[in-house]
Parts: sequence; C-alpha cells; structure tokens
Amino acid sequence: MFQINAAEIGNVKVNTSQNGGFSSDQIADMATDKIVYVADNAPPAIQEQARLFADRVRNLLRGYVDLAKKEERATIIQVIEQTGNKELANIIRRL
Amino acid sequence: MAITQAMCNSFKKEVMLGTHNFATNGNSFKLALYAEGGGGKSSTTATLGHGTTAYTTTGEVANSGSYTAGGGALTNVAPSVASSTSSATAFADFADISFTTATITAMGALIYNDTNSDKSVAVLDFTSNKTSTSGTFTVTFPTADASNAIIRIA
Repeated sequence: MFQINAAEIGNVKVNTSQNGGFSSDQIADMATDKIVYVADNAPPAIQEQARLFADRVRNLLRGYVDLAKKEERATIIQVIEQTGNKELANIIRRL
Repeated sequence: MAITQAMCNSFKKEVMLGTHNFATNGNSFKLALYAEGGGGKSSTTATLGHGTTAYTTTGEVANSGSYTAGGGALTNVAPSVASSTSSATAFADFADISFTTATITAMGALIYNDTNSDKSVAVLDFTSNKTSTSGTFTVTFPTADASNAIIRIA
C-alpha cells in the first residue's frame, strides 16, 4: 500500500501600501524574508545568528533599494527635461 | 469564518487524475482575492474552504487598478522534491504576485487552474483584512522548501 501522509498548504504573507508604492523599508523586508529563513525549531544560538545576519542583509538591501530608486528617478528626470517639460521634472525631483 | 485556509478536497482527487500541471510551461494558474462581510462585489460574501471546487465571483473583490475579475496570473515555479530523507516531501511554488494602484480590502484568496475549467487548488486565509489604498497589494509566497512551500505532498 502506498500512503500519502500529508498534503498541506503554506502560509502566504500579504504586504500593502497606501497612496503609492512600497517604501524602501517594505521592499527590504520582503527581500530579506526571501533570502533568510529562520526555522522556529533551530537551536537558539543559530536563530540569534540568523537574525543578526538578516538584520545586516536588510540594512544593505535598504541602502541599495534607495539608491536604485534615486538613480531611476534621475534617469526619468533627464528624459523628461530633454523633452522640455521642466515643471514635471521638478515634481519628480521632489518625490 | 467564511474563508478557511485549506487545500481543496477536489484538488486532492484531481491530482490523482493528472488534472493539474504545475511545471513551468504547464497549466496556467490564477489567484483571485476575496472579501468577507460586505467588501466584495455587490456586497456578496465569500464562503471558501475545503469544499470549494472552482473559481467563483461570489465575494470576489471589485476591479481596481491592475486587479480585474478572475484575479492575476501566477508564474509557476517548477515542482521539486526534498531529497534529504527517505520519505521526501514534494512541493510546488509560485512567484509572488502584485496588484498595483489598487484599492483593495481582502480577507483571503483562491488559487485555481485557469487552464482546466477554473478548478480550485487551495484557499488562502489572510487571517485579517488586508487593505491597499491607491497602492500595491502583494501576496508573497512562503519559502519553497519541504516545511513551508505553498503546496506540499509528503
């Protein structure tokens, strides 16, 4: 006899934003959750190390997400300015 | 509760019938969002759980931003099997899905097979209302491993 012991589904996480897209902190948190997983049944010392590592990853990602947003915005501003739409470029610059 | 997290009973049977193909270029699966109470279309209330057999519009959230009736298409991640134990666990996964510039309040979701008559796969319970207001609504799938993946068979 062949037996399937368990057929299970996992728990999803939902992230939402208000009046715009995600903040750099939210994106960094989402990416960190994908990179570092801390098992509840891991020894406490391992859990602590993993959490410290996750914090470092989160801080690093936050910095690069900020940089990516800034650089993308700079490219967009440049393109808009080249079309002569300086007012719109300034609005984006102030975001 | 009107929305109860579950792997649908019909799906368990249909796995044995070869109805669902989770391969990268396999069937097309979708994720639809549902409200409890009066949040759904025409104030309908979703009742989803083990007994759900197919996608339904009852209680589905209204169109907003990039969310349209039927929900969003999921990107399949090829199924794997954890080979570290003799009784290994097989699991399937999807890429995270986002709905942008959307005003949505949802309590749960239904994953269903868009290729095969909208047959249901699993009901997801968010445990509380999740709301985006003119923003992004993202469903992040769990780590794809033997202990956490969205769909697991051991």
